[in-house]
Amino acid sequence: MLLSAFEKVKLENAPFVSMGFFAAAFVMQLTAGNHESALYGSVFNGMFVSNSFTQAAGLVIIGCGFFTAMTCLTYFKQNNPCTMEFYSVLFFATGGMLMLTLSRELITSFISLEIMSLAIYILVGYDRKRVTSTEALLKYLLLGAFAGSFFVMGSALVYGGAGSTKFAEISSFISTHSAGTPLLIGGAFFIFVAFLFKVAAFPFHAWVIDVYDGAATPVTGFMATALKAATFTVFANFLALNGAMQKEWIDFLFYIALFTMFGGNLIAIGQSNIKRMLAASGIVHSGYLLIALVAISTESFSGSVIAYYLAAYSVGTLGIFAALSYLGGKGESRMSFDDFKGLAKVRPYSAAAIAVFLLSMAGIPPTAGFMGKFYIITSAISANQMALAVFGVISSILSMWYYLRLIIIMYFQEPEDTFEIENSIFAPACTFILVFCVFALGLYPIVI
Amino acid sequence: MIQNYLILSVILFCIGILGVVSRRNVLIVFMSIELMLNAANLAFIAFSRFHESMDGHVLALMVMAVAAAEAALALAVVILLHKHKGKLDTDVFSLLKG
Repeated sequence: MLLSAFEKVKLENAPFVSMGFFAAAFVMQLTAGNHESALYGSVFNGMFVSNSFTQAAGLVIIGCGFFTAMTCLTYFKQNNPCTMEFYSVLFFATGGMLMLTLSRELITSFISLEIMSLAIYILVGYDRKRVTSTEALLKYLLLGAFAGSFFVMGSALVYGGAGSTKFAEISSFISTHSAGTPLLIGGAFFIFVAFLFKVAAFPFHAWVIDVYDGAATPVTGFMATALKAATFTVFANFLALNGAMQKEWIDFLFYIALFTMFGGNLIAIGQSNIKRMLAASGIVHSGYLLIALVAISTESFSGSVIAYYLAAYSVGTLGIFAALSYLGGKGESRMSFDDFKGLAKVRPYSAAAIAVFLLSMAGIPPTAGFMGKFYIITSAISANQMALAVFGVISSILSMWYYLRLIIIMYFQEPEDTFEIENSIFAPACTFILVFCVFALGLYPIVI
Repeated sequence: MIQNYLILSVILFCIGILGVVSRRNVLIVFMSIELMLNAANLAFIAFSRFHESMDGHVLALMVMAVAAAEAALALAVVILLHKHKGKLDTDVFSLLKG
């Protein structure tokens, strides 16, 4: 399940080999038992626990890795070529994310968080000659390390308060004492700050737009999906460790979710660059996932809503970034709304694919995005969070504004560009597989 | 007894935050982040003594290892910055506005 090995192969073959590894990992993850079990209990001392939720999250992450490797194949033909190490760093990041989903201990979480983040920093700044990517790297590294130190401080305080950093022991401490001791409140607050930073929630969202803009397009897609999936999994596991803990923080998360959704929408409406718009819409999607976190019930926690939404969001976002990475042209020259005028007349299939992804993200049936939002809203209603459900729907309607704007530009304006692209079938193939995934995931809950 | 250590740790942590927020030089910002991590380490060790278990010591060692890895990457970034811009102020970067 955890693989970060990499063989010495030629650069041309590297993406194929990494796709093979991702596919193998995906199959292994799929066939692994989905019962609650501690992995290698004697070696890791119960620090890693797998269950159906972590399995689903792992599938999403590995899938993201697979499609990212596939997209890179085309992307690096049009842009500065990468070296072999790019793909191995991609594996390190994926390994860190998988560890993060499994971890049930604060310091293990911190270490896997850092394995993941360090690899992602390298991916963001991989194109050393481009000044924008260096700037994105600097901003991300500074703020990421800052958030990481908050996480360590939080773990130290929780350790002081509960006497252990294992989730199970913290939980049993809380049930015998209370979650309201100053050390636990302070510690949990610091840890939440770090998590909220990583998922780009409201007060800590400013970095995400610059970093997504500066990074290479496939890397942006990978960051937007896999990183979010991993962080939300561990966030949910931490929050669900005890009911008293969740009650203590539910109001706090309520407001964070609210501001994240509307703040993200406001930023997205004002953007003229597609990558920046997608980054801002990623903030909005974090807001929806936070609704799901507010609504989780710790007694019967399975995380199925969160896992489904993560999958639905990931296929849509990965798809649009895959499309952007082959339509973007040399050196990502086409990235603003105006550059995509009349795409539907020149490249009807690509435009249709992008439209499907956008509609999925906006939540139009019968796509996966609609089902994901449907589950989140119903879970909020059943958890008696009526206000949050209503705000979720309003924010979803607001988000149509900028998704439909791109569709209108693509379909109802005259083309000014011929959209010359490098002849490589992989990113387009990846895009169309993901279109299929959008519908398959959307219909999956109805069929089953 | 433990209060003294915790107060020191919190003071160090706050100095770190202040450094990150107010200083403009990239190296000093990274040093402030290291200071924050070490403040957390101090808290770990103090709590470890308080609980009379060895867990905290081990955890502090882990954190130090991660901090070293982060410092290595950070220094690489500093070199990259210097190649591009010739100086190490965070102000010189304004290509991406957000």
